Amino acid sequence: MSLTLFCLGAVVLVPLLASALSVLLGSVARRVLGVITSAAVLGLSTPILVQVTSGQTLELALGGFESPLGITLRADGLSALFLAMTAVVGAVVSCYAAARPASTGKRLVPGTPDRDADKQHHRHTEPPGVWRAGHAGFWPLWLGCWSGLNAVFLSGDLFNTYVGLELVGLTAVALVALGGRDAWPAALRYLFIAVLGSLLFLIGVALIYSVTGTLDIIDSGEIITGLAAEDDADLAAVVLALCLISLGLALKVALVPLHRWLIPAHSSAPSAVSPLLSALVIKAALFVLLRVWLWVAGPLPELAILAWVLAGMGAAAILVGSVMALRQTRLKPLIAYSTVAQVGYWFLLLPLLLDPETSALEGQPGTTLDDGAVLAGALSGTVALALGHGLAKASLFLSAGHLKDLYGTDEIADLRGAGRAHPMLVMSMGLSAVGLIGLPLSLGFSGKWLLATSAVAAGHYWMLVVLVAGTLFSAAYLLKAVAPLLVMSEDDQTELTLPQAQTRPEDPTLTGKAQLAPFVLGLLTVLTGFLGVWLTGVLEVGAPW
Amino acid sequence: MTGGVPAADLVLGAGLLASVLCTVLPSSRFAQSMGLLGLGVLTTLAWLRLGSVDVALAEAGIGGGILAALLVWVSVSSPAQPSPDAATAPRWTWLRPVVGTLSAITLTVVAAAVWLRAEQSLPAWDAALTANMGLTGVEHEITGVLLVFRFYDTLLESAVLMLTAVAVLALGHGDVGPRAGLSAALSPAPPIPASLHWLIRVFAPVLFLAGLWLLFAGSTDSGGAFQSGAVLCAVLILLHSAHVPLGKLTVSWLRPVLVAGVVVFILAALAHLNAPFSFPVLLTIEILLTLGIAAGLYAIYLCLDNPARREVTT
Repeated sequence: MSLTLFCLGAVVLVPLLASALSVLLGSVARRVLGVITSAAVLGLSTPILVQVTSGQTLELALGGFESPLGITLRADGLSALFLAMTAVVGAVVSCYAAARPASTGKRLVPGTPDRDADKQHHRHTEPPGVWRAGHAGFWPLWLGCWSGLNAVFLSGDLFNTYVGLELVGLTAVALVALGGRDAWPAALRYLFIAVLGSLLFLIGVALIYSVTGTLDIIDSGEIITGLAAEDDADLAAVVLALCLISLGLALKVALVPLHRWLIPAHSSAPSAVSPLLSALVIKAALFVLLRVWLWVAGPLPELAILAWVLAGMGAAAILVGSVMALRQTRLKPLIAYSTVAQVGYWFLLLPLLLDPETSALEGQPGTTLDDGAVLAGALSGTVALALGHGLAKASLFLSAGHLKDLYGTDEIADLRGAGRAHPMLVMSMGLSAVGLIGLPLSLGFSGKWLLATSAVAAGHYWMLVVLVAGTLFSAAYLLKAVAPLLVMSEDDQTELTLPQAQTRPEDPTLTGKAQLAPFVLGLLTVLTGFLGVWLTGVLEVGAPW
Repeated sequence: MTGGVPAADLVLGAGLLASVLCTVLPSSRFAQSMGLLGLGVLTTLAWLRLGSVDVALAEAGIGGGILAALLVWVSVSSPAQPSPDAATAPRWTWLRPVVGTLSAITLTVVAAAVWLRAEQSLPAWDAALTANMGLTGVEHEITGVLLVFRFYDTLLESAVLMLTAVAVLALGHGDVGPRAGLSAALSPAPPIPASLHWLIRVFAPVLFLAGLWLLFAGSTDSGGAFQSGAVLCAVLILLHSAHVPLGKLTVSWLRPVLVAGVVVFILAALAHLNAPFSFPVLLTIEILLTLGIAAGLYAIYLCLDNPARREVTT
């Protein structure tokens, strides 16, 4: 077994091992272990990305049992890209959480309030509890979540994907609940959604399994293609399975109108958790959706209605999410609604998948497009948007959470002029805004460009309208979020009065190096814009066309 | 229509539907929990009728036993709590049930039509399974699939259970250290009648033995870590309610036991990424996993006592 194949297994198992071991450690040791594990995951992901970039799909039959009996781990271009983004974002956020333990939630400790208050209000025999900032339970849960994410990205098996999604969903719910008592209702609601989504996915998988007799993703895709080629093929089970799977995953991605759970969950989560939820956790469901639509179900013409419905919901998401984001007065809910809007972009490609003819450009002079060029362009555009969103949204949520912890509020009006005191935070917010709007140079721009060109090639001009409208909207709501923070002088006669900073002298972490974390992610958002072409190349590895 | 179906199955099916109604319709939590308990028993019988002894045992242990213990605890400790959206009465009270019923009927009809029409193909792994059973060192095929051929799924599932317990512990008092999350729960259980006391002390060893039997039977027959863990957890719950002093033992051993199975499983998996486990490794993993599952379920039970009731309102 080569080293790279070992990395394939280890990148899932090492964070899980660290998660289990951290349960036994104290809080300082957990932080150290968390940072070491982040470095290890980065180190283990690199050979996988390098090998896949060189054009080779990696496969590891676990235990030596080939599919259909055993489970195969498989890394192709799509897996490697999501794995790499998760490793980068995960490592940066882990460092942030280690540097600022207070950002990991609130813990309930046996309190020792003053005697008088105790006599008046509490007659329990048990000691009453008080809430303190910081929760070391973050580490086992987040490392377990990371392991689940990697398991989803590398899985070559449908049932195993379900187990990975369960691991991700459960730990994500628990991470939200670390936000203290106020976050519990949001976490409970998220739990119901996550479990319902997983169940729908599982029923879909069972239907596919009953038709194909295998759980392996590639094998079942081949069998379904074979079935579709027959004349009297009855694909009702596959279509129903795709409906259920898409519905379940749309719940988990929070596609409009299934998005209401996301706002309280993402905005009430602790500062170090919201970026993970928004940047990584919903990407797991998106990844599975792309996997199933492209690899398992192939371009079946029977799926046209479903594809158009989902794309319509995507367009609606861009509209509804943007309008709702514009109406928010607080930073974290605004960013959460921006996630709802951005989710819409990832569903626009579905009608293109079923209709990849380059008819619109045929006959035009100077255009020769390969077979699959539209598919490749649409997929790499979508993946670029998703990866860019991961980096940018992690940075944005980190900065917003940091500001909230600094000033004790995330009301935008109260944070006017915060850029003067904390230029690095507001700078990173600006950089991630560039990425989310999709201004040139950012990964978001490459994504929109690729998506738009393939839409034109396939004659789907409606998508241009959606993309342009979405871009204008996102510029509007992000300006609304960032511009007040940048106000430097009192030129509009209103006095700049920031709320009393909560920074206690003994808490230097709020002004220290932790602010570098969102800045690094913001910088990456813009710099990765150069990788658009490379990304298309990597996605060709193991592509289904 | 009833030609091929034995009367017993019809009765069982009707009973299942009735117990579902008994679970959904009552408004008191206690009645709902009791309905679910009955549903658990009937589901177990249905699985037995279908010939899936493994699933029946798991259903009886986890679905019926442990879940019922949790639910009864909740319904006894907080009998009536209106749901959060009960305050805002909907304008048309009939709308919700009607929409719900219509959706359920549509779903059932569509799913049944597709399911019956689809040409089901048999699992493609049957031949490979029989051919490879010799490699595993176990005789029962389900155990072979769970622990050898698809061990990776089982590993992730046991991690899910471990992390559930970790999450539940994290919501209690404190965040690190052996007592974290358990401090409120280690207070003595409510008093119970003396006869019950006596009964529990008689039955606990028998149940313990049954749990161990389920664990070791798994290699040749139905049974295994999950079922056995559930039974062992039931023993712990019974002993806790009978005031057997388990507090110190729990504080010092709950966390190590909870993670030991997963840790050993991962280490073994890293060493055997492309080769099957040997039988001794398999047995070690199975025993540790069982203990871990019992510890995890027991932790969930212990943490039911809501710590928020003892917090300072700020």
